[in-house]
Amino acid sequence: MRGGGLSALLFLMPMLVVFTVFSWIPIGQTVLMSLQQTNLVTDPVFVGFDNFRTVLKDPLLWTAVRNTLWFAFLALIIGYPAPLVLAVLMNEVRKLRGLYSALAYLPVVVPPVVAVLLWKFFYDAGPHGMFNTVLGWFGFEPVSWLQDASIAMVSLVVEATWAAAGGTVIIYLAALTRVPPELYEAAELDGASVWRKVWHVTLPQLRGVLLITFILQIVGTAQVFLEPFLFTGGGPANQTTTILLLIYNYAFATSLGGDYGAATALSLMLAVVLAVLSALYFRLTRSWSTS
Amino acid sequence: MTSWRITTAAVLVTALTVTACSTGGPLDPNAPVTLTVAIDPGLEQGAIDAFNARVAEFEKANANIDIRPQEYKWDATTFTAQLAGGTLPAVFTVPFTDGRGLIERRQITDISDLVEHLPYAKGFNESVAKAGQAQDGKMWAVPISAYGQALHYNRTLFTQAGLDPDRPPTSWAEVRSAAKQIAERTGQAGYAQMTTNNTGGWLLTTLDYAFGGRTEKIEGDTAKSTLNTPEMRQVLQTIRDMRWTDNSMGANFLYDWAGINQDFAAGRIGMYVSGGGNYGSLKAQNALKPADYGITTLPLAGTDRAGVLGGGTLAVVRAKVDDPIKAAAVKWIDFYYLSKLTEQDAAVADAKTTAETGQAVGAPELPVFDRSLHDQRMQWISQYVNVPTAQMKPYTDRMFAQPLVPEPTRSTQQVYALLDPVVQAVLTDRGADSSALLAAAETQAQTLLDRK
Amino acid sequence: MSDRGVLSSYDRKRPGVRRGLRVVNGALLAVLFTAGLGPVLWLAKAAVTPTQDTLRTPLALWPNGFDFANLATAWTRVEIDKYFLNTVLLAAGAWLVQLLVAMTAGFALSVLRPRYRKIVTAVVLATLFVPSVVLLVPLYLTITDLSLINSFWAVWLPAGANAFNILLVQRFLDGLPREVFEAARVDGAGPLRLFWSIVLPMSRPILGVVSVFAVIASWKDFLWPMLVLPDPSVQPLSVRLPALQRFVELDVFLAALAISTLIPVVLFLIFQRLFLNGGALGGAVKG
Repeated sequence: MRGGGLSALLFLMPMLVVFTVFSWIPIGQTVLMSLQQTNLVTDPVFVGFDNFRTVLKDPLLWTAVRNTLWFAFLALIIGYPAPLVLAVLMNEVRKLRGLYSALAYLPVVVPPVVAVLLWKFFYDAGPHGMFNTVLGWFGFEPVSWLQDASIAMVSLVVEATWAAAGGTVIIYLAALTRVPPELYEAAELDGASVWRKVWHVTLPQLRGVLLITFILQIVGTAQVFLEPFLFTGGGPANQTTTILLLIYNYAFATSLGGDYGAATALSLMLAVVLAVLSALYFRLTRSWSTS
Repeated sequence: MTSWRITTAAVLVTALTVTACSTGGPLDPNAPVTLTVAIDPGLEQGAIDAFNARVAEFEKANANIDIRPQEYKWDATTFTAQLAGGTLPAVFTVPFTDGRGLIERRQITDISDLVEHLPYAKGFNESVAKAGQAQDGKMWAVPISAYGQALHYNRTLFTQAGLDPDRPPTSWAEVRSAAKQIAERTGQAGYAQMTTNNTGGWLLTTLDYAFGGRTEKIEGDTAKSTLNTPEMRQVLQTIRDMRWTDNSMGANFLYDWAGINQDFAAGRIGMYVSGGGNYGSLKAQNALKPADYGITTLPLAGTDRAGVLGGGTLAVVRAKVDDPIKAAAVKWIDFYYLSKLTEQDAAVADAKTTAETGQAVGAPELPVFDRSLHDQRMQWISQYVNVPTAQMKPYTDRMFAQPLVPEPTRSTQQVYALLDPVVQAVLTDRGADSSALLAAAETQAQTLLDRK
Repeated sequence: MSDRGVLSSYDRKRPGVRRGLRVVNGALLAVLFTAGLGPVLWLAKAAVTPTQDTLRTPLALWPNGFDFANLATAWTRVEIDKYFLNTVLLAAGAWLVQLLVAMTAGFALSVLRPRYRKIVTAVVLATLFVPSVVLLVPLYLTITDLSLINSFWAVWLPAGANAFNILLVQRFLDGLPREVFEAARVDGAGPLRLFWSIVLPMSRPILGVVSVFAVIASWKDFLWPMLVLPDPSVQPLSVRLPALQRFVELDVFLAALAISTLIPVVLFLIFQRLFLNGGALGGAVKG
């Protein structure tokens, strides 16, 4: 059944149209625009690598890079282990497992925007704020969750973790059921303790999934937008301005004529970094899913 | 640029048969026209009713024009996208701040030929008119309201704190002590200030003017940024004292225009600075309790140069509209925004509908035309005034006596954006070095000013 | 599914382990209740509490009585129903477009196998390495040029340009026995029959996976609909709620948030199994 000819082309049509218009051309356009100065009103002018230079010279870029790395790092130490610990513990539960999973997954179902707006209220910095009320019971001073440059990012990551952990827990739970019982039994024959079994059997068996969630998390955090945009608008004093927020600001938020050149130049630079990570991820899923 | 766009369009049109409709044809004054116009977002039902009543009136008088209201309010974070996307209503409003830039970049339609035939075209207050004019004096954008910054305060919190609500602060030292007293006795923020979406820069500039400073110096063709000045440092020091020494500024330091209005209306803020005409939107959008409301003039430092930052709103017509729409748009601007300022019948009719739907009539504002017309209009509508005028006396008694200073003219919004993080840093970081922050902002601002 | 975890049945009988397990289970349940259900329950409470009580004593249970009017106000003034309908329509359209594009392309590339199949596959897959951020600005300008702003198509059509879906479908179809297709061919089935009567019914599992991705992605999307749907009357809840926050009193706003949450939570409780299985799959390959 080789050839296909006309019918194959017809079947490919929807994909070809959609990809041409909404993917291939825009990708080319990104490259083109990063070399141009345009405000959509007057004709675009080629400016060589000026846009890249402008972006690299913008002090905000380095703030944004630092903030994004900081977000990624915090997400790694707060958001990465939490679902794993939960999943390993939940996997030992014998009764009401459905209830546990449902509870863990519930935050994922809450619309992300609702979650942020709700947490924004929880993070009210006054003594009557939700979290500050709880701190008050234990005699602690109110904390300026979103208004204090040093902890605003932590607050963002905690919310993001809350919102996403459930999904990751479910993935780990699924992976845990695939750990062959014989491995545990063999370890038990050697007299291994519970901790040693976790360390020498469970974790190595989850290695593939762990690596994938790790890369996914990095790729995801590099593009974080919703939390800083809705929680803080990048403040206080640009301490939560991330790279994507900066791209958005270049293109859409500076009043009167967006700097599309700078926005696309920065997008391209970010894309190169992310493409490397995606390539890595792609290889891994391939080897993992065929193994 | 265009070639790929043609390809894009061609591919899509052939494959999906997306039809594009175009308007054109000879200019017939009775040909049906659909005009999208701006209506404030999030209005109470009463305010929507008042708006619809005016629309019905207009459509009755102009049978060929179909008005379609579209929610719109100028907002620094979305305006550019809407402008680029061509999604603004045909008639929309922008702050004075943006008028010049929009005209220079030809991002709005030149309606000066139609505007000059309006009966009151020559009567605009001179400095107000400037905000809507191109370099050659043609009026592309029509001023529809003007304001000066003022100090709004919560009378109930004043009373609870043991302050006299009829004697609001008249100096920044008094603002500071009142804020401290409110914070200590009521637990609410004594004084709060906007800091995000360019409002931080707007407010810093306001206070800079009030302390006698200016943020730019124009000499011929060149502009010099003057952010790092003794006056601005004094402003930041005042804020810093209230924030860190007195702890009287509450706990939220990421307010924008709408956010601070909301917290003020909810009784969480003792005093804040914003446009003098704010009462209407506080009432319509934030359900402010009238009894809480107080307003007074912005305290000015004792130097000659100290002044009140003034601004206003321009009605403009979206770029790339055809002539019938342009004509209808100017009719709407005349009918909805201006006739109520200039003609007795229209003023009374507007005030009547507005009052009947429970919305504010008679909130203080500065004259768009001359003072005498303004006073006359206030008389026309006096029987419908429903705002607590007695509580506004501290402002209305003295607002004309204050020198009004227009906003900076070059790259105004971008410079405001540069100042946002400065004030945020002072409010959220005890150790913030305001001189260094101002110096850095000034350097960046100068780059922006030099670009032109 | 294996019937054991780290602990063996022998472990479970040891008193030390049993006690420890009970403590761990209790703590786990407490944590999951507080973190998972707590905020949702609080939101439900706040939805019927007057503003000032929520502001002054966020954790007290109705110190000054209920305020059920919030819910009605939220429904009428905020018009949740309209925005929820928009949300559903956006998700449904994006889902349909993605299925259509992925299935037809997968079918053409895997079953019909034209000569140029390798090139097309490569060009499609290459876009996998281009993060969506890169397309933000040019895609926005494309939408502007096509006058699709404020049209649902602005969200639906770009959603179809998803190389991942095509990859999944293609791999799935490659795994199907080709003898079936050949047999159908011999019986005189044309490509359309083959697609509709043979391949589609056999593709149910992969259709499910793509559907879950499509719906979850559309559900979470914020930036893109915010950019291309500036007119409030066509916005989904996710875009509308942040804008409303500034104009709506806190108690009514929280009521609006509660209603917006209730609908998906109820759907989740009804279709729990689908969500949890789909979630596992969805996360495993996409995040």
